[in-house]
Amino acid sequence: MGLDTKPLSTLHGKSSYDLEDFPVPTGREESWRFTPLSRLRGLHDGTAPVTGSVVVEVHPSPEVSVETVGRDDSRVGKAYVPADRVSVQAFTSFEKATVITVPKEAVTSEPTVVNLRGESAEGATYGHLVVVVEPLAQAVVVLDHRGSAVYADNVEFVVGDGASLRVVSLQDWAGDAVHVSHHHAQLAKDATFKSFVVTLGGDLVRLSPSVSYTGRGGDADLSGLYFADAGQHLEHRLLVDHSVPDCRSHVDYRGALQGDEAHAVWIGDVIIRVEATGTDTYELNRNLILTDGARADSVPNLEILTGEVAGAGHASASGRLDDEHTFYLQARGIPYEEARRLVVRGYFAQLIQKIEVEEIRDRVLAAVEAELAR
Amino acid sequence: MTVTDRPELEGLGNYKFGWADSDVAGATARRGLSEEVVRNISALKNEPEWMLDLRLKGLRLFGKKPLPSWGSDLTGIDFDNIKYFVRSTEKQAASWDELPADIKNTYDKLGIPEAEKQRLIAGVAAQYESEVVYHKIREDLEEKGVIFLDTDTGLKEHPELFKEYFGSVIPVGDNKFASLNSAVWSGGSFIYVPPNVNVEIPLQAYFRINTENMGQFERTLIIVDEGSYVHYVEGCTAPIYSSDSLHSAVVEIIVKKNARCRYTTIQNWSNNVYNLVTKRAVAYEGATMEWIDGNIGSKVTMKYPAVYLMGEHAKGETLSVAFAGEGQHQDAGAKMVHLAPKTSSTIVSKSVARGGGRTSYRGLVQIEEGAAGSASTVKCDALLIDQISRSDTYPYVDVREDDVSMGHEATVSKVSDDQLFYLMSRGLNEDEAMAMIVRGFVEPIARELPMEYALELNRLIELQMEGAVG
Repeated sequence: MGLDTKPLSTLHGKSSYDLEDFPVPTGREESWRFTPLSRLRGLHDGTAPVTGSVVVEVHPSPEVSVETVGRDDSRVGKAYVPADRVSVQAFTSFEKATVITVPKEAVTSEPTVVNLRGESAEGATYGHLVVVVEPLAQAVVVLDHRGSAVYADNVEFVVGDGASLRVVSLQDWAGDAVHVSHHHAQLAKDATFKSFVVTLGGDLVRLSPSVSYTGRGGDADLSGLYFADAGQHLEHRLLVDHSVPDCRSHVDYRGALQGDEAHAVWIGDVIIRVEATGTDTYELNRNLILTDGARADSVPNLEILTGEVAGAGHASASGRLDDEHTFYLQARGIPYEEARRLVVRGYFAQLIQKIEVEEIRDRVLAAVEAELAR
Repeated sequence: MTVTDRPELEGLGNYKFGWADSDVAGATARRGLSEEVVRNISALKNEPEWMLDLRLKGLRLFGKKPLPSWGSDLTGIDFDNIKYFVRSTEKQAASWDELPADIKNTYDKLGIPEAEKQRLIAGVAAQYESEVVYHKIREDLEEKGVIFLDTDTGLKEHPELFKEYFGSVIPVGDNKFASLNSAVWSGGSFIYVPPNVNVEIPLQAYFRINTENMGQFERTLIIVDEGSYVHYVEGCTAPIYSSDSLHSAVVEIIVKKNARCRYTTIQNWSNNVYNLVTKRAVAYEGATMEWIDGNIGSKVTMKYPAVYLMGEHAKGETLSVAFAGEGQHQDAGAKMVHLAPKTSSTIVSKSVARGGGRTSYRGLVQIEEGAAGSASTVKCDALLIDQISRSDTYPYVDVREDDVSMGHEATVSKVSDDQLFYLMSRGLNEDEAMAMIVRGFVEPIARELPMEYALELNRLIELQMEGAVG
């Protein structure tokens, strides 16, 4: 059953492995009020026929072991307990899980790439992925989502004592895809977790990254970049739960929106519990609205139950392209379209530099350029 | 000061306004809410039929709406135990001496008649329990056509203004507590400032609850006509009792073209009052609405003063400061709704939590389609004094227009040992040093207060901070 039954925090809902514990959302719930439920194609109410197909292919670094396991494997569902209806639906419905293990003290020589290819948006698919990084190991993992799919999954990142995991998750879906996903990272003592989320494609993408700590000195760095076009709904809901002293979290998500009914939602929740003294946390979200008709919702929430914090803050800003920036460039002979592209590129550049895998970095830069050329 | 002889309450002795006066009217007042109670209030006041209808509608909606599931825990309110209407004196007094000795005594202790004598304020309203017992406005303002009345008298004398504006900013069904207020409202201030009149000195109201389990439901309506300015100041206190009282006011403000209104509240209810208030202003073209909101007392406060920016270049500003000590939850914030182009809003919120208290900032900035060229900035800072206190930030931003700029920033910090050490090495003791740091922290807001309130705030901080260290 749920780990957290008492309502300590309004940010932290209940969690459970049991579908019955989560009624079908109506859209009035705090956690669902931004999501257009009618576009989830039945992922939220159990009506989605499980006839879809998402092919999972892993190209591991040589040091890494990859297994495909059944539902009863003890490593599945150990770090993360589903916290909403779609998550628990995925958890109770998937058939095969992929487990990637980075053995103790191993330093991987190349990124481990997980390709997820959707084959059709008819019928749903449920998935589960576990990445275990054993103590003192270091690894880079790339999740690359492409194609058409109605896909719900849970991903668990278990980072051991002193280990380091860098993750890039690309949501580069085709225009008709629906993807609802939870990414949970559990950080042991002195573990480092850096994630980079890039959401570009799909009709509706709702990704909920969360972080929990089991030992002191855990360090989580969550970055994200999204580009919402006409009609797209891109939602990122972050939850960092500081329950252990002396841990750190840093969140930086930036998005751009263009076109009618382009909708981006960013929720950044941070809880600092009574025990979590010495916590250092900061969250930042920025939205650049490029055209009329786009909408950005940005809600950073902070619950602090102890006064002994090293630092806690958040900032959120939404606005349009600054005319002065483009004017400055135009005054130097750069045409408006080019100037606009440069400004947007500058807006994302600092973030994109953080991507550790060069090919991915180039691909993201190219994707941003392509979006701007539309 | 005779608070009460209950030894278990002695720990609350910090509160200066905690005395209770003899309470004949309150003791006989009826508890609980029913249609009959509502009809009685209306009949006692000889109200027009439409007001009774509005009250009954409020009662129906109150029954239908659930308690809010967010914010503070309100399950402790026993609606059947509350006294919804207490008449403390038969008629309103024109001079302080006409008031019953107990009531006059109360206001003397609060220093209100003295402030009036010294002409620090342009008009005074004093509400005791359900009704306004004293009311006065300076003659020169009256000559200029400024109306400053208690709301009951206002309804009698200016029914046309009431029909037009009452409930127009906050509808009967706005929220559960606005419905309740609509059903049983009594007292409050009614202000009308005619076009191009500048009321230089603040108008002031003082709200006092004396009876245990009292429900005070004042209703304030302020209309500032084109090009005018008014500053309204309210203060609130109550005795310390062992069971809870409820204060649920509704404040509606209309700021017309190019007018400016400033509304200052120093809420210092005792720690057994639930303070659940709905305050909203509409600001038309070029108008400015400023809320200055100090929350120091009460057990639970849920209050989010709002400005609806209806016309071009309208401006909304909220400065809010909250203190939460032991057993207190200050869930306060602000709401800015941009409905017209080139509107701007600023929210600055400062909160201090100590002794296990909890402060929450809860805000909304909404920029509707068409409000192009609007700008909003929100800044919240929280200061935590110890390990057991709690601070939350729940900002909410909804932007539906591209040509806007929107910023939100929050910081939460604790008083550092370095700061304390620095001041103590200069000869301050720990309490004084702590109080000085806190005063510095809230200074940007304190300086916006009228002088006597700024002094009062400083004094309250000192009281709040006493024994905060160690």
